Amino acid sequence: MCSRLLPLFVFSLATSALFAQSTPPSPDHEPSVQSLLDRIQQLEKRISELESHERKEAAGQTVSSDSPVVSDSKPAQGSATPTQVPHPEHAASPTTVREAEVHYPSLQIRGFGDVDFSATDQKGSTSGFNLGQFVLHFASPLSEKVSYFAEVSFTAQPTGYDLNLERTIIRYDYNDYFKASFGKYHTPVSYWNTAFHHGAWLQTTISRPEMVKIGGTFIPIHFVGLQAEGNIPSGGLGLGYNLGLGNGRSSNFSKAGDSGDSNNNRAWVANLFARPARLYGLQFGGSYYHDKLTPQPGVNFDEWIASAHVVWTKQHPELLTEFANVHHRDLQTSQTFNTTAYYVQLAYRLAWQENKWKPYYRFEYIHRPNVEPVWDFPETPSTVDLVGSTVGVRYDITNYAAFKGEYRNSRHGVGEPRVNGAFFQTAFTF
Amino acid sequence: MRAYWKPACGGLLLGWICLCCLQIAAAQGREVDVAVVVHSDTPVSNLTLAEVRKVFLGERQYWSANLPVVLLIRAPVARERNVVLKTIYQMSESQFKQYWIAKIFRAEAASAPKVVYSNDMANELVTAIPGAIAFVDARDVRPETKVIRVDGRLPGEAGYALR
Repeated sequence: MCSRLLPLFVFSLATSALFAQSTPPSPDHEPSVQSLLDRIQQLEKRISELESHERKEAAGQTVSSDSPVVSDSKPAQGSATPTQVPHPEHAASPTTVREAEVHYPSLQIRGFGDVDFSATDQKGSTSGFNLGQFVLHFASPLSEKVSYFAEVSFTAQPTGYDLNLERTIIRYDYNDYFKASFGKYHTPVSYWNTAFHHGAWLQTTISRPEMVKIGGTFIPIHFVGLQAEGNIPSGGLGLGYNLGLGNGRSSNFSKAGDSGDSNNNRAWVANLFARPARLYGLQFGGSYYHDKLTPQPGVNFDEWIASAHVVWTKQHPELLTEFANVHHRDLQTSQTFNTTAYYVQLAYRLAWQENKWKPYYRFEYIHRPNVEPVWDFPETPSTVDLVGSTVGVRYDITNYAAFKGEYRNSRHGVGEPRVNGAFFQTAFTF
Repeated sequence: MRAYWKPACGGLLLGWICLCCLQIAAAQGREVDVAVVVHSDTPVSNLTLAEVRKVFLGERQYWSANLPVVLLIRAPVARERNVVLKTIYQMSESQFKQYWIAKIFRAEAASAPKVVYSNDMANELVTAIPGAIAFVDARDVRPETKVIRVDGRLPGEAGYALR
């Protein structure tokens, strides 16, 4: 009997093995995943039982009381009541009613912080730790179509902390094609400037490229005024735009005109980009910016900035590349000056160890004329020639914290020696 | 000894046959399609996979001028969420979280997708919230919701993208 059963047993074993091979990968984790799925199903069943119990109780209460509920809240995104369900057995449970309600305003706060260590061989520099920017973001829908957003930063200084209102935006959404807003923005003249903002955790690397450095002057980082943005009906091409009108730079070129413009000329910016549907992850576009600079009364320059970007935002690999040209014209002498800059950053999130490691490399370059009255105003050059390379790795400790280490080799200024440096950062959001 | 051997062998065989059946059932279970469901008043019935992606990435935020999109997504570990992350977002769980944090704080979206803890809850919220869209197991679709065709196909049809 046993010998007769043996072939059947072997066949059964083989079949079982074949089916096991046909299941998805990670056989080591399969038993635990399956047990988790079973557990989830049990929990879902339990939730359904509890919800049906709640529904029955709610139905009883509805019969006993027909007075309307007075509340500042309303059903999410519409005027229909959340309990308008045709089938009594599928009537919305109190949990669902609660979940369907949206309260206005509904403030969300998120913080970003980082702690850094740096050591370079630059003469006169000291190595050591420093606190990066401590940043708070506030987002609050005020109604179905109106929302508010703010970003404040605390930056460590030798004498204390600088508090800055980095962004404050109130936005009205008409539809996907037209959204109007007023306030202080990161100028949409650069991809990086509008993609990563002040939280170091958001960006792959420790530092921003020099051309979009916070406190730098190459492009106007901030912009105070109004902006229209939205999608452009373009099918699979996925076109979008930003149009802005505002104060532009103040007399201090690294600052926006928060308290008023430095002249009677408004700056404007136009940005057009595409996210093709067939190439999910790809974005490319360009921007144009114009302003009149008045560093002091009677001294005026026209400023035109043209920029372009191509990015691949999937992380296998991630490619960010931008180019910008800043053109200045002295309105008294008609002399013109062009400064160009670009960077190419390549990163790749490695598949092993749960995708936690992401090595990266960046090359950046800035070239300015020897004489450039805007950058040299009043005395200290605010934008200098730069050739630099950065190589590093990001390790995501959790979903909300990362550790980064990088080596930089750069030359700031013509004829200056190259500087080597090691930098470390732990950046997080909370 | 032989007397104990035969029933033990038979029991073992029966056990393996049961295991095979369970594995076949489990393998079939994994192939169940995930339906894209919307509130019945939503003015769409057919979307391409790229359009579904655009909606779930928060790049399309309105069905019409007065009807905003309300995204619903299952909590982590649910199969429907895994299908959405793999097929629509093409992101890991961690990348998905980072994506929405960045999206909100670029001021491009007012809030992240609302999390639902069961297909029942997803169905109820889709029924209750005009403009809501969710992914549910095709076996759990309720008649009050509208099932969206993805690339012209409904769940269960050959070539359906979400499974």
